Amino acid sequence: MSSVVDYLGPLSAGIGNTLLITFGAFGIGAAIGIPIALARSARWRPLRMLGVAYVELLRGIPPIAWLFIAFYGLAQLGIRVESMPAAVGGLGAISGAYMAEIYRAGLRAVPHGQFEAGRAVGLTESGLYRHVIVPQAIVTVFPPAMTYVIGLLKDSAIASVIGAQEITALALGEQQQSFAGLPIFLAAGIIYMAIGLPLGGISRWVDVRLTRRLADA
Amino acid sequence: MEVQGLGKAFGPHRALEDVSLSVAAGEVVGIIGPSGSGKSTLLRCINHLEQPTSGRVLIDGVPIADPGGREPSAKELAALRRKVGMVFQSFNLFPHLTAVENVMLAQVKALGRPKQEARARALELLERVGIADKADSRPRRCSGGQQQRIAIARALALDPRVMLFDEPTSALDPELGLEVLGVMRELASDGMTMIVVTHEMHFAEEVADRIVFMADGRIVEEGPPRQVMRAPRHERTRRFLRAVLDR
Repeated sequence: MSSVVDYLGPLSAGIGNTLLITFGAFGIGAAIGIPIALARSARWRPLRMLGVAYVELLRGIPPIAWLFIAFYGLAQLGIRVESMPAAVGGLGAISGAYMAEIYRAGLRAVPHGQFEAGRAVGLTESGLYRHVIVPQAIVTVFPPAMTYVIGLLKDSAIASVIGAQEITALALGEQQQSFAGLPIFLAAGIIYMAIGLPLGGISRWVDVRLTRRLADA
Repeated sequence: MEVQGLGKAFGPHRALEDVSLSVAAGEVVGIIGPSGSGKSTLLRCINHLEQPTSGRVLIDGVPIADPGGREPSAKELAALRRKVGMVFQSFNLFPHLTAVENVMLAQVKALGRPKQEARARALELLERVGIADKADSRPRRCSGGQQQRIAIARALALDPRVMLFDEPTSALDPELGLEVLGVMRELASDGMTMIVVTHEMHFAEEVADRIVFMADGRIVEEGPPRQVMRAPRHERTRRFLRAVLDR
């Protein structure tokens, strides 16, 4: 019987795709989260409702169901999407909803007086956000965003159900050949942790720096 | 600067009603009155941090927005606010920037001054308000009085036509407030046009060329400090002054 160590090598072949899904989806989410957050706090009601609908819809349906929709659902409509793009796009769309909420909380954490002070010194709205609001909001946004990335790393495993060849999919393949479930999935778990723990470490390191920059001279 | 028939309603509540005020260049106007009388709202409407419901504001004869017409565009607003310096009760310094960066930011980003020039000007202004030694400190490392003086330097950096002060010493210990009043006194004697909302009656009487008393969103009376404060014409003013001065 093979041991845990024997499976680390074969399963590592999936790391690339796992990272691609995680950071690809996060990148998409971080980008589309901005317009969604703006829509959610828009003054014009229909736009605001649209933002709310997007967030609630994407968060209300399980990610696995969204991936089935992106893969099998679109295929039925004659839109053939490969499993990797479907996984990145599907999880990216969901990430957009979560990131929008994280951004909103970040913006709300900046005192109203900062908006007024920025406007009072004649900054344009874009200058106000770029130079005054975002540098402060980022301190609030960063920790939950990093927590979300680490969650996403683990959630990327569900991309295996639509055939994306990432760590968990490779583990399932090994399991079907050898039925050695325990060492295989322990090895998969070890690989996930080996990626996740340093990510957590980096995020704490950056967080301390961001906070210090805001607090001290 | 001229304020014509300014009104502001928050829903059914009328915070300002038909307020007109003209301020000559170099003049110092002190606005006094009870809380909720519309003093702060007036200042905030002058630089359109609040959109007035009616009336208009002119600077150098140029209106900021049409009366009851379209709202001024974001660009017009930004341009207006560069002519009007504002100092807040709670300082509102940018916490992620050092003192000198606070004073530089709008010079560079709003006026397009070169960084070198902006920095020189910022240091000169910090010197003028007496805190050159704090130039590289972040606001949190400064006392309230120092923070408010940085905020004054930040507003002055745009070379505004008029400075608005919204209870600049209300959040400060009496002693720290004194530093701030000292800087304001100097500004006034240098000929800066100023509108000062304040509860510091002695300061108002000493520094202001004219006192405006407001209550319930209206100007009740205005005139030379001595007259308004020693011999007010209106019963409402008398009642307020009695409450303030008989402490």
